Amino acid sequence: MNLFNRFNQLGFVIGVFFILVALVLLVGYIATTALHQSINLYSGILMLVFGIFMIRVKDEE
Amino acid sequence: MSLHPADYLIIFLYFLFVVAVGFIIKKRIRSSNDFLSSNRSIPLWITSLAFISANLGAQEVLGMVASGAKYGIMTVHFYWVGAIFAMVFLGVYMMPFYYGSKARSVPEYLSLRFDEKTRALNAVTFAVMTVFSSGISLYALAKLLEVILGWNFDLCIWIAAGIVMVYTFLGGLTSAVYNEVLQFFLIVLGLSPLVIVALQDAGGWSAIQQQLQPELTHAWKYMGKAEENPMGIHFMSLIFGLGFVMSFGYWCTDFLVVQRAMIARDLNAARRTPIIAAIPKMLMPIIVVLPGVIAIALTQVASDAGDYRIPQDASGGLDYTMTLPSLIAHYYPSGLLGIGITALIASFMSGMAGNVTAFNAVFTYDIYQSYFVKNRSDTHYLWVGRWVTLVGILVSIGTAYIAASYNNINDFLQLVFSFVNGPLFATFLLGMFWKRTTSAGAFWGLLLGTVAAAITHGLTLAEGKGGWIAPMFPISSGMGQAFIVASFSWIANFFITLFVSLMTQPKPEAELRGLVYSLTEKVYGTETMWYKKVGPISVVLLVITILLNLLFF
Repeated sequence: MNLFNRFNQLGFVIGVFFILVALVLLVGYIATTALHQSINLYSGILMLVFGIFMIRVKDEE
Repeated sequence: MSLHPADYLIIFLYFLFVVAVGFIIKKRIRSSNDFLSSNRSIPLWITSLAFISANLGAQEVLGMVASGAKYGIMTVHFYWVGAIFAMVFLGVYMMPFYYGSKARSVPEYLSLRFDEKTRALNAVTFAVMTVFSSGISLYALAKLLEVILGWNFDLCIWIAAGIVMVYTFLGGLTSAVYNEVLQFFLIVLGLSPLVIVALQDAGGWSAIQQQLQPELTHAWKYMGKAEENPMGIHFMSLIFGLGFVMSFGYWCTDFLVVQRAMIARDLNAARRTPIIAAIPKMLMPIIVVLPGVIAIALTQVASDAGDYRIPQDASGGLDYTMTLPSLIAHYYPSGLLGIGITALIASFMSGMAGNVTAFNAVFTYDIYQSYFVKNRSDTHYLWVGRWVTLVGILVSIGTAYIAASYNNINDFLQLVFSFVNGPLFATFLLGMFWKRTTSAGAFWGLLLGTVAAAITHGLTLAEGKGGWIAPMFPISSGMGQAFIVASFSWIANFFITLFVSLMTQPKPEAELRGLVYSLTEKVYGTETMWYKKVGPISVVLLVITILLNLLFF
């Protein structure tokens, strides 16, 4: 299934959203002082793991 | 509170995704059933999460955190006495009638079981309630963003309403449901770190138990006497008023939530929807009650200017409604702050979209198609459904401005909910489980039950509210008053329906098959695994719920 079609699956959409949010937190943690807080790092990792999990879960749609 | 560009980026990403979901779903919409009832095609995991997410709106998230701070751990009764038992009852006993009757809405079930006037009464009151509730969500969101971020109130109203309008107009109920699932995960993952850091700051649960008054950390221990607990109610009033009347009235008859189960792919999935939803619902107090309890504990021991405190209102008292936003502002740095704010926005938009989609289904099916324009093409009703969505949003904007100019409209609306949902459950209980219940009994019971609620409210006074007939019975909390109003309305409806039914002629049994318990063939699922069967999983849920009550006794 190509990438565009996978956007029809809710699990994939949710996964992509949380990966992007996680990237904002993790890149921000590394690159800026304002976001350089451990809570951003841990939350970013948590959301990244969750996002990957949602993308990999086989949607029954 | 000021936001970093990263916070704005996260908020923008959220808006982008919810609108994109609308465009993705639009391709699948080909009929009015696709738009208004998702053509009964939604997978179980989505219907289950949407089921609880429809109840994860503004009142739930902000209101439960506020109640946690005001009433303490007793607030969990909304979950462990109210919601779980009612959700299990809906799945086990009521869903076969809703789903099996092929009704597209709760009012339509009432027309099949009783008659058109009972349907009309329920449809009109429900439509008015949903559109007002949607407006209140919109108002509360704009007000919150204005207060904590200094954003323009009018701009917030029109942007939030515009985004909800785009995705509900394009994708109808499916779009709203899909976004509710995204919003659910955002709320849970966005607020979980807050619970952890705030709990750590308070020294853990043991420290909170030592700091707070015992009645704030025990769910049942101080309920033997009304004057000993912060809600000011006896445990019998709680069990009957909240646990039975209000919770069963809301979870089993409110179309906003029942609609999420009615769009499942088959009857077994529809029955399992509220039961599966009960699992995360059982754990929701960690996200929405515990922060309130932590906040009041932190406020009581705060000594330094930098310590967390619940903000004060204009009169100098604690502004409990601002508990959650103030916790987010205190504990979240840039980045996570954007997620926290987005989670709040998501909860408001989820509440608004849920109300709008329930409104357009009831208006199109139960008012427009039933009483105004019958027998037109499906394309016509699809067109009407889309434009009713637009009208619903515009009316919501209007009610948001009404709310802005009238301080007590939210209290008034909550009261109207208890007036309508409380007695409605008696109508369903008798209608589904007693074949002798007649159409006249249902109509008069519903109408006079609502009148009984109004009279009870007029005779009781709590926190300055009610008592408009004569303030004869003082009650110490508004919540306690709501339980008592709901209880009297239910009792009145129950006995009036009973009495009128015995005086009038019931429908022939042949017309009631599939609508009444004793005349309907029992459903035994073909699933072989115990966790896919409604019965065993319900028993496990109820046992865990009882254990949770004992744990926090």
